[in-house]
Amino acid sequence: MSLSRKAKRSIWSWVALSPLIVLVLFPFAVMILTALKPPSEVLRQTWIPSEFHWRNFITMWGATNFGKALWNSVYVSTLSTIIALIAAIPAAYAMSRYRFRGKGAFQQFLLVSQMLSPIVLVIGLFRLVVWLGLVDSTNSVVIVYAAFGIAFSVWMLQSYFATIPRDLEEAAWIEGATPWQALIRVFLPLALPAMVVTALFTFINAWNEFVIALTMLRTQDSYTLPIQIFSLVAGRYTVEWHHVMAATFVATIPVAIIFAWLQRYLVRGLALGAVK
Amino acid sequence: MSFVSSGRLALAASAMALVAGAAMADIRVTVAEYSSLTGPFFNDAAAAFEAETGTKVNIEVVPWDVLFQKLTTDISAGAQADLSIIGTRWLIDFASEDLVAPLDDIISDDLRERFVPAFLDPSIMDGQLLGLPVAASARAMYFNSDLMAQAGVESVPENWEELADAAAKISALGDDIYGFGLQGAEIETDVYYYYALWSYGGDLITADGTSGLGTQAAVDAATMYKGLIDAGVTEPGVTSYNREDVQNLFKQGRVGFMITAPFLATQIANEVPDLNYGVSAIPAGPDGDRGTYGVTDSIIMFENSPNKEEAAAFLDFVFGHDWRVRFDSGEGFLPVTSSVAEDPAFADDPVLSVFASLLPTARFAPTIAGWEEIAAIASDAMQSIYLSDGDSAIAPTLSAAADRINALLP
Amino acid sequence: MPDPVSRQGLAQMNRSLLVNPYVLIAPGFILAALIILWPLASITNIAVHDVNRFGVLRDYVGFENFQVIFADPEFLGALRRTAIWVFGIVAGSIIVSIPVAMILNADFYGRGLARVIIMLPWAISLTMTAIVWAWAMNGESGMLNSGLRAIGVLDRNIQWLAQASTAFPMQILIGILVTIPFTITIFLGGLSSVPDDLYEAARLEGANGWQVFREITLPLLKPFVNIAVVMNTIYVFNSFPIIWVTTQGGPAKSTDILVTYLYKLGFQYGRLDDASALSILMFVLLLAFTLLYVRLAMREEKA
Repeated sequence: MSLSRKAKRSIWSWVALSPLIVLVLFPFAVMILTALKPPSEVLRQTWIPSEFHWRNFITMWGATNFGKALWNSVYVSTLSTIIALIAAIPAAYAMSRYRFRGKGAFQQFLLVSQMLSPIVLVIGLFRLVVWLGLVDSTNSVVIVYAAFGIAFSVWMLQSYFATIPRDLEEAAWIEGATPWQALIRVFLPLALPAMVVTALFTFINAWNEFVIALTMLRTQDSYTLPIQIFSLVAGRYTVEWHHVMAATFVATIPVAIIFAWLQRYLVRGLALGAVK
Repeated sequence: MSFVSSGRLALAASAMALVAGAAMADIRVTVAEYSSLTGPFFNDAAAAFEAETGTKVNIEVVPWDVLFQKLTTDISAGAQADLSIIGTRWLIDFASEDLVAPLDDIISDDLRERFVPAFLDPSIMDGQLLGLPVAASARAMYFNSDLMAQAGVESVPENWEELADAAAKISALGDDIYGFGLQGAEIETDVYYYYALWSYGGDLITADGTSGLGTQAAVDAATMYKGLIDAGVTEPGVTSYNREDVQNLFKQGRVGFMITAPFLATQIANEVPDLNYGVSAIPAGPDGDRGTYGVTDSIIMFENSPNKEEAAAFLDFVFGHDWRVRFDSGEGFLPVTSSVAEDPAFADDPVLSVFASLLPTARFAPTIAGWEEIAAIASDAMQSIYLSDGDSAIAPTLSAAADRINALLP
Repeated sequence: MPDPVSRQGLAQMNRSLLVNPYVLIAPGFILAALIILWPLASITNIAVHDVNRFGVLRDYVGFENFQVIFADPEFLGALRRTAIWVFGIVAGSIIVSIPVAMILNADFYGRGLARVIIMLPWAISLTMTAIVWAWAMNGESGMLNSGLRAIGVLDRNIQWLAQASTAFPMQILIGILVTIPFTITIFLGGLSSVPDDLYEAARLEGANGWQVFREITLPLLKPFVNIAVVMNTIYVFNSFPIIWVTTQGGPAKSTDILVTYLYKLGFQYGRLDDASALSILMFVLLLAFTLLYVRLAMREEKA
């Protein structure tokens, strides 16, 4: 009986979600169908290509310098996520475990820094990067992304850490563990879901960021994916849409897979992080 | 990585010295990306140059849309390259801040004499040569011969009146066929209007130094374009068609006439070689005036470049005959060097020769600091006019735009 | 075997490091401060000077640059559209996300798949989303027109980006679509914290679906809605690629919002001083809104 009730609910759930799902999937359909059109058909208003031109993906790879851009994106996103977490975890730990002078100010600093978007700061940021001698280095982008990720990471982690009972660490101390051991063996495993979510957020923001990369990166060798793909449509005398769409499609696959895989952590982690 | 370590060593040093110092022997060249061939072209040239001289050249390929932004941020932080491609109309912006190195004593006479003088002129200011033309184009009208034949249009329209007739006939051929392709979005929306403005006897800047948008010619030209839109002989919704979109329509054989640069011919040859088309002068106005837009991009050397000698050597190299042939034919630009212009591949080309014949009447963007903002005001005014109902908004819109431009003019 | 004495010493040191909050927050603070405060200071400095287009400071001019911005009719237009843009997307995404989150919170066949699909826009960079939509909305070759024609909604092509009356709503729609995943994630988190027996109890008392929603779900979701409002407002206010890629604020500036206006001012017109002043103004505006909203929300919670 309950099975059929669930079946019924499934049907109307899918029906109710269908408009949104159509809207969400529409750009993907545009991407993949355009990517598979023979170049001569790209401008025609048809949906289905006369033949599936898989070669587009191969020619795109060479024509768009895709491999290098993909590697740059992976490098920048991963490294900035690691740096943001390494800086944010101790800070969040301190915020959730101790009272100290300046704590409120630090909290406010984090909140305010969330409001400053890269585009508002880009003129100043660029001067800073030049001062550091990092122009056209992907490392400049790494540092900026990491710094912009810190505020959110601390905020997320701190509220989650606060839900982990202090007794657990203290119990470990009593059993003879050093604080570091207690931290690593007891505390961090418990905090893992929140760290996964935080990492995912930072990673995605870095993966998708546009304005900073556009300003800091000069050569195609250092371009990240969004910039590389944007450069295929911006101000060119002719745009090869089948390549653009093929590149966009391939660029979304890695994140889409990570997403599908970590999606359940995401909800749990945010739930705990957000309320407190 | 070398940027990092040397950067740390010299934190106190000025940013300029820093970036330069990190790459002493290397030279940096910023190039605009005209097509997917631009990057490979310059990288190949750089590799060949390095093989010959041992000087490493770093090519920074920048999308044209963001080139000006990149140059501004670079300069504001003192991090500009040694050489850069710029729109020649920006030259005054850079030159007025003493950012550009005069090339007279830096480059050899041999290099200087390779250029067609008409293209070199826009880069000469106060008697100093500040840049070398790297890309040149003029504009002409493309016509689709098959559509004209089908619609019974016998000769290529000589003036706008004939064009309106011909366009109406071609538009009548079908719902998806449009007589005149009118660009109304993004870069050069204003230029598309200047073609008409010039043929109506107008000018961008009048003799008394004010904006030409405030003149009767401007109103007449805009009224003519608006008439084409309202008569339904252009593509619908012109304000969403950028140059590339209109060119795509032409390549699909769905537009009778459009005005654009030689590179469309290159694209047609590669993509739709069977298209039956021709190129002619832009239609004349009621008094027989004509005008076409001449555009050059220049390559300049920045004043603070520490590698002027090496950079000049690279210029000498990349402006060699064979490299120029590859560049001009790949991108579809008009040759800027005499030897290439005389090369049969270019001199005997039926399309390019039309463009070359129009050059004497070509007008260039005035050398005024802040031209980009003025162009944006004109583009916005045209878009408002194209979107408005009827003709009543034309005169007030243009005169408001002229007022704003006049406030910016020196 | 390590020497026990030194090991203890090490532990001592470690402990002192671990219990000193300043040491713990230092790396995060220093990095964030360097990357955020330094540029902020540099922009503030530019904003009160006359600056050439390459950022060379000339005379100190006080608030003159700010006055230039206030006097610019385009600023007011962009400000008004920014308000519509932010309100449209934030409200729209919340209105859509609440029911969708409720559906996704209940158990049904294929829920995992549905969640993944609805989260997908998050996985694409905003720039790429905007490029794909711009292509789809192309009046001639766009698959939006052909799709709508195929299902009979349209009988002729619409030039979506030719005028603000169609372009701006579409841009807001795209904005809503890409904001929904984050919003739903927050709401799902909120809904999963609601104990099931609360619903059971309500149902036993004979409450209908709407009453359950109004009396139980909505109040419980309220803090989450507040978070969504604040976070999304910050994010949408600063969002640049959708409008830039599709219309660049055109035609005739009719889709310009503050960030695109800022970009043009700074990087196309070379008015770095005015652009810096606008940056500061935007920051202050956002700060004021957020503080006001947080205060109002907190007061309501207390009441």
